[in-house]
Amino acid sequence: MPSITRRQLLAGGGALAAASFLSACTPAGSAAGGGRAITIWNNLADDQQNKYFDRHFVRSYKGKYPAEFTPKASNTIDRLIQTSLAAGAGPTIIVTPGPSSFVEAYYSAGYLADLDRYADRYGWAKTFAPWALAASRVDDKLVTLPTSYETMVLYFNPETLQRLGLTAPSTREEFEDFCAEAKGKGTIPIAAGNADYRGANEWFVGVGLNHGAGPDAVYSALRGETKWTDPVFVDAIERLASYFTKGWFGGSVDRYFTNSFPTVYRQLANGDAPLMLSGTWEFSNLAPYFGKAAGNDQTWDYTAVPSLRDGVPTVIWDLAIGQSAGVNTNFPDEAAAADYLNYLTTDTANIIASVEQMSFEPPPIHLTASDFSAKADPRIVRLYSSLSAATSIGYTTWTFYPQQTETYMIDYFENVITGQMTAKEYCQGIQTRFSTERAEGRVPTAPNPAGGLA
Amino acid sequence: MGWVFMLPLVIVNLFVVLIPSVLSIVYSFTDWSGISTRARFVGLQNYTTLFRDPEFVQGLLHNILWTVFFLIVPMAMGLFGAFALSRIRRFRLLFRTLYFIPYIVASVVNASIWRSILDPDSGVGSLLHINPLGDTHLALWSVAFVNNWAWWGFLVVVFLAAMQGIDPALYEAAQMDGASPFRQFFSITLPGIRPTFAFLGLMTIIWSFLAFDYVYILTQGGPAGSTDLLSTVLYRDAFSNLQAGYSSAIGVVMALISTLVVTVYLVVRRVRKWEI
Repeated sequence: MPSITRRQLLAGGGALAAASFLSACTPAGSAAGGGRAITIWNNLADDQQNKYFDRHFVRSYKGKYPAEFTPKASNTIDRLIQTSLAAGAGPTIIVTPGPSSFVEAYYSAGYLADLDRYADRYGWAKTFAPWALAASRVDDKLVTLPTSYETMVLYFNPETLQRLGLTAPSTREEFEDFCAEAKGKGTIPIAAGNADYRGANEWFVGVGLNHGAGPDAVYSALRGETKWTDPVFVDAIERLASYFTKGWFGGSVDRYFTNSFPTVYRQLANGDAPLMLSGTWEFSNLAPYFGKAAGNDQTWDYTAVPSLRDGVPTVIWDLAIGQSAGVNTNFPDEAAAADYLNYLTTDTANIIASVEQMSFEPPPIHLTASDFSAKADPRIVRLYSSLSAATSIGYTTWTFYPQQTETYMIDYFENVITGQMTAKEYCQGIQTRFSTERAEGRVPTAPNPAGGLA
Repeated sequence: MGWVFMLPLVIVNLFVVLIPSVLSIVYSFTDWSGISTRARFVGLQNYTTLFRDPEFVQGLLHNILWTVFFLIVPMAMGLFGAFALSRIRRFRLLFRTLYFIPYIVASVVNASIWRSILDPDSGVGSLLHINPLGDTHLALWSVAFVNNWAWWGFLVVVFLAAMQGIDPALYEAAQMDGASPFRQFFSITLPGIRPTFAFLGLMTIIWSFLAFDYVYILTQGGPAGSTDLLSTVLYRDAFSNLQAGYSSAIGVVMALISTLVVTVYLVVRRVRKWEI
């Protein structure tokens, strides 16, 4: 056996350490095998979705370079991307949870490529809904593409409604009567909880503003024409908070803080709660709790979120981009990365199949009922048909509000519902942060509320 | 040649500890976002903002409460557990292992188990008609309790090791003089392990200011900031608000607190001539 000198051992150890260190700092697009590849990190719901995404949106890509996918957990993906970008690395395709979060910061730091030059080549203006492309611009440059879009809906369990002798509400009066009666009958009116994700607070704040103050008022405030301290917003937040303190959301304020998502889904499925207020991303999450998969004969359905103030339309679809994706400027072949991004977001047949088979959320491309096959879940077809025909839209915080304002709205809403802060103080806090971020040009562009989605 | 063997460790410490520490101090005087390649020098602005920031003040207060809790509850439990184990011969190893297991279980596992145990619908919460993690008045103490459950077994093992270094003749003499176990504990055991006790007290203070994992997993700082510690405020400011410069200032203050504690300990150790 050949002997190893101490010098060789030290040199070998040093080389190994250096190799390990350098391998952790690979630039965007370095494949595990050594050749160049387009890399994407994504946070999907489960392993089944990961495998589907890998097979149908990654390995199926036949471009200049192969694509490689690394699944990441939802609660860490943003931090991982942030730190890897700051270290001069990161994936080729940079994803963010919508235009509000990180997009402006990444672009300002020089990490996101300007995609305008590819918009004409691929005809994105015709493919995507104009509002979604507008919200994806920073400094009047297209820096991301929306990879998924979603809206808030009111879920219900038809059997529970029938048992309680109630119908899904559509106006404020109906909503309040419904909740009072459902609670009186021993149920939790609306299954809700944020134990797994504090960000859930913003879903309800957004609903409170869009449906309680109205999209016109929100649009005006997003444009800086109305202050967030306007009584229309203060009243809307106060009213929403009162629904929590009455125990209509999650059973009680303290239960709201400890209800996990599985608990919420179970409450809707087993009849403990007739309603659930959440986004359309729940379509895939609800599946294991209903029907054959759960060993019961329960079903779920949804309707539009009710109007929470007189004069506010009864059907408003809150627009949300669930995920945005851009190209890392670190990747040496920007055009090749843009080509993959185009494949990821515009291959209609592939996208429709993923919606039908895996309940993926599609990008905001023009979809109608006729695009879906006969096998499609009619609830999904109805959703996208309704969205295509929408005449009144609302604004979700993770799509149209700047980042620090959004974080404040999430964190401090808890202070309002626990009585540590008034609705007026809360709105003042929103205004303070919003006006600063607006002055710095960080507010994504919002579409006209009556403009529809065309 | 000794320094050659030290070199790998020095290099790792240089890159992982020293350079990030120096950079954190530098960034604490800037408005760095944590992402951008640019950072503007803002002087002491981050530090002057700190003490007007209600989140920082609340986090600091919670850290102090947390430290007081961990200086009393687990230390008392650790001492009692170790003393009790030192008095028995059979099953000592078994109990020591049982106490120590929670310490080596991943915090995410411990936290998940305790989240179920404390559940207001199916766990202890339903029996006591409380919601330990959802009530703003109980949440901080509930998280501290869970963290303590994983922590005190470690103290038992360390205290027990220190107690085994005490000369048994002292206990025999005390027994012959009719000293009760209670008296033996305060007159022989405690003085005998005083350096270890002081050292663990010091580390408890330092670790208390670094606490993060159980809070983040169980409550994420909520409800309504009732479990926010400096570390969770720092994390949120750095990664959600993109105020890495400001977060660095929080980190520097946390380091200064630890430095102060270590300095006091070193002075006391020198004056009292402790060997540890």
